[in-house]
Amino acid sequence: MADKSKVGSEYSPVTWEVERGKIAEMAKAIGDPNPIYLDRAAALKEGYKDTPAPPTFLTVPMMWSSSMPGVITDLKINFMMVLHGEEEYEYYREIYPGDKLTGSPKVVSIEEKTSKSGSKMDMVTIEILYTDQNGEKVAKARSLLVERK
Amino acid sequence: MAKEIYFEDINVGDEMPSLAKGPVQKLQHVMYAGASGDFNPLHTDDDFAKAVGMKDGVISHGMLIMGFVGQAMTAWIPKKYVKKFGVRFAGMTKPGNTITITGKVTDKRQEAGENLISCELVAQDENGDVKITGHFDAALPSKG
Repeated sequence: MADKSKVGSEYSPVTWEVERGKIAEMAKAIGDPNPIYLDRAAALKEGYKDTPAPPTFLTVPMMWSSSMPGVITDLKINFMMVLHGEEEYEYYREIYPGDKLTGSPKVVSIEEKTSKSGSKMDMVTIEILYTDQNGEKVAKARSLLVERK
Repeated sequence: MAKEIYFEDINVGDEMPSLAKGPVQKLQHVMYAGASGDFNPLHTDDDFAKAVGMKDGVISHGMLIMGFVGQAMTAWIPKKYVKKFGVRFAGMTKPGNTITITGKVTDKRQEAGENLISCELVAQDENGDVKITGHFDAALPSKG
């Protein structure tokens, strides 16, 4: 079960450089044909400075840098029993190729809940505020993980 | 892609154009694993998925389905106007499912100099089973 003593703890920051190819790869994996993700000229025409990252792109630095798996391990959560309950993003500016994103996962809360069927679970909320190479806020990601017990 | 859209054009109760995605293919799980870095074998290895209790084998990454919802959202409201986007994962998606995303405007207001709309979102499969409920806020330009 999730280690409640870790509420409020913040993990060491992870920095991730955004590549143009990764933005296109993410759009292709989703099957999103929007040309702004693939074609710089199309993106410029629609008012972007370059090909922007798709709305769910922040899963990339979180998973590829292993920051979320690392947090799950440190919280002593049983990986096999984890479900992704919720995900929410707040966007402060677009993410573009060449951006260097830095984010530190923070454990916001761990609450025990009992489902209608009577089984217990821990609801673990983790937030990552991403800043850019100039220290400016880019976006905030909030994940709710549900550990079945 | 997304047409220019103005605050004045949007009213509470308006429906987002729906988007149908799929049927979801196992190959898409492999592509999404590589793109996202989520290599949990629950999404790519039928034997593993069955061993952990998924009788039909692999299930889709929840974030792939959130990606579908994001596609529907930004095909309607240009991505640059979206301020907040959140979902609750309500059910598992399997290969073969066709996911249809719908949405509706729930609120419209002017706040701190911004023209904001709030919308709710739903992703369902071909049987009407809900996979995701979600919401987004966007700040739109005004014709004013």
